Amino acid sequence: MTDRDRGFSGLLRRLPEASALIVFLIAETIFFSVKSEFFLAWDNWLNILTAISVIGIIAAPGTLLLTAGQFDLSVGSVTAFTAVIMANLALSHDTSLAVAVAVAAAIGVGVINGFLVTVVGVNALITTLGTLAAFRGLSEVIAKGQTVGVEGFETLGTARPVWNIPVPVFVLIAVLIVVWVLMRYTVYGRAMYAIGSNPFAARLVGVRSRRFVFIGFVLSAAACALGGLVLTSQLSVGSPLFGTGMELSVITAIVLGGASLSGGRGSVVGTAVGLMIIGILNNGLTLTGVDPFWQNVARGALLIGAVSFDRLRARIGE
Amino acid sequence: MNLDATGGSVLALLGENGAGKSTLVKILAGDYEADAGSIEIAGATHRSLDPVAARRQGIRMIFQELAAAPDLSVAENVMLGQLPSRRGFVSWRAVRSAAAKMLSELGVDLDLAAPVSSLRVAERQVVEIARALLGEARCLILDEPTAALSYLEVERLFAFLQRLRERGVAIIYITHRLDEVARVADRVHVLRDGASVLEGPAGAYGRAELVSAMVGKALGEVQRPAPREHTPATTLLRFEQAACQGAFANLDLEVGDGEVVGLYGRIGSGTAEVAEAAFGVRRLTSGRLEARAGGLGLHGPAQAIQAGIGFLPADRQRDGAFMIRSVAENLSAPSWSRLAAARLFIWSESEAAAYARWHDVLRIRSRNNPKQTIGTLSGGNQQKVLLGRWLESRSRVLVLVEPTRGVDVGARIEIYGSIRRLSEEGVGVLVVTSDHEEVVQLVDRAVVMSRGKITARLDGDEITVERLASAAEGLA
Repeated sequence: MTDRDRGFSGLLRRLPEASALIVFLIAETIFFSVKSEFFLAWDNWLNILTAISVIGIIAAPGTLLLTAGQFDLSVGSVTAFTAVIMANLALSHDTSLAVAVAVAAAIGVGVINGFLVTVVGVNALITTLGTLAAFRGLSEVIAKGQTVGVEGFETLGTARPVWNIPVPVFVLIAVLIVVWVLMRYTVYGRAMYAIGSNPFAARLVGVRSRRFVFIGFVLSAAACALGGLVLTSQLSVGSPLFGTGMELSVITAIVLGGASLSGGRGSVVGTAVGLMIIGILNNGLTLTGVDPFWQNVARGALLIGAVSFDRLRARIGE
Repeated sequence: MNLDATGGSVLALLGENGAGKSTLVKILAGDYEADAGSIEIAGATHRSLDPVAARRQGIRMIFQELAAAPDLSVAENVMLGQLPSRRGFVSWRAVRSAAAKMLSELGVDLDLAAPVSSLRVAERQVVEIARALLGEARCLILDEPTAALSYLEVERLFAFLQRLRERGVAIIYITHRLDEVARVADRVHVLRDGASVLEGPAGAYGRAELVSAMVGKALGEVQRPAPREHTPATTLLRFEQAACQGAFANLDLEVGDGEVVGLYGRIGSGTAEVAEAAFGVRRLTSGRLEARAGGLGLHGPAQAIQAGIGFLPADRQRDGAFMIRSVAENLSAPSWSRLAAARLFIWSESEAAAYARWHDVLRIRSRNNPKQTIGTLSGGNQQKVLLGRWLESRSRVLVLVEPTRGVDVGARIEIYGSIRRLSEEGVGVLVVTSDHEEVVQLVDRAVVMSRGKITARLDGDEITVERLASAAEGLA
């Protein structure tokens, strides 16, 4: 141990990146469990997990994209697009056909995003801001501004096969594990980190950057399709308003989890912790009777607070 | 530690990476604070300086990385930070006239309205210097100003420093190139491990003395490697009448197994573009490129790597390293598919094993922890990791561009040793460089380029600094 590693600032530096978040998570849990007697109940934990399931399903491939230095802001719109197509087709056709067409349409948006970013070379922020607006609008057009009911599609969103745990929670866990394996144990994941940390160098070690980033956008859209179907099933309706403002929650969770906005850093485990922090905060504020309008204020403050803390820590580390 | 810079003279400041040159001049420029001691400027003594105070005292610094605002015009860049204004509004006429006056005093002719991004590196440097000299400049500090300049531009810079010296400015000149010391400096000052080890008139010391003062042991003069009886059996890389629009033409060049070929030329001579073409980064506009098994042409680096070619780019930080990732990841990047199970799943243990294979072979000085971030290593050790990349990927041909730029003398010799050993094992190496001492010390045969054309092919004892220099100027 060198001199630099002693004392308080040394301790801060040696902490693994996620540990500050875990401390915050525990503090948050203790605070709300003192404030509300219902907070620690099993059913309340299921409420928290169910509430973050759709955001989490979408944030997982979002983490992968962000490590390559790319964003997908169109997630909320693609979610609504999927739901609206599914609900409207299900009125006149077989449910399985409606699902297939809706998923294909969502993946089509991913292909458009990927094409614009990797082939045309438009900045990802601008590209997905454009598709965010366009596909929200297109969802409204298809649904004629109406919310459409869906019957006989409840299982995916509401069934509780074991220990009263709803299916979306299992879907969330499965997606997180798949992306975790992808990022940690595959050549594809390694290449995405490389692209994010230095795109020029990535090309010179033979990484096919454009192809890989393209796949990232398609994966993100596929996750949105899954999220859209879960939402449709949970609420038994497809609405063009689904997922409004969802990009903020998704990015908050990813960045809370330690991913760098400039790429090269990030992990699914971090994102999972970030999701839990958001979920517990929203749930706890509701249980303790705080006005729901304050919840957005809390989430914004949380995001800024977490990132500021991280910057301070990095500066102490220098 | 004492340092004196006198008005109207040039002081060359030498030392290996990490010797303390940068820290010393940053204390002068007010970036760092000295723990003890004082700074005396024109008779007044200061305990420490902050950047604003240093500027007010007439101390100006030109950094290695040029810090201009690329989208602003030449005039704006010259006047940056002190735009003349009236009641808070910028007076553009005053900006232009003041900038024009400054530039003409320096004897350069630049378009004032042109954005700085459209200028060549040397011209940008002049803009930086012009800005630095605004107001009362007493002392100008230049940190390796010639690293990215071509031969002619270096000459112009030296003429320019001469004029500043006549104006009575004290110049502190930091460099790695020992041949520049005799050309430009009046006095020389060598640092090692943060202490002053040699000081005196520049003319009094030869190259050998300066080097041994820098590294602390005698390394002697530039020497040719021991000659080797070796005739390449196969050609690994061959250019035939190759051309690339605006960069090079009529190029015939081949690299055989087990030989180290030097491609030497000043910056802008086309050598860098040849290197890029050899790795598939740049397409030929005519002619042929054969890589290894008779394959024609290359479409991108991924194919070049498959053809057994490795590439070390000139700009390590921009094009080479993944600075925030681990050394093991950096080293195994081109070999990921091979290290992976079923070409898909990769474990960090296999990356760590790859790193362990080359750590000692290349004498990488690190904590020997495969998880260490590459950015925490010194330049020379980063370069060794990046060289290890291509050993792990079992490259048969290595294209090394400026392999020892910004690398200190000790690490440089180790890198040369590794390259020579590799060639003895049958690897063909093409060293693309603008450092003539590197060519003399490292290669079996040398090809010299000037303005996109080959001007000389030198073998064995013909490879001397003099022959290289005259060929690089197109005199053959």
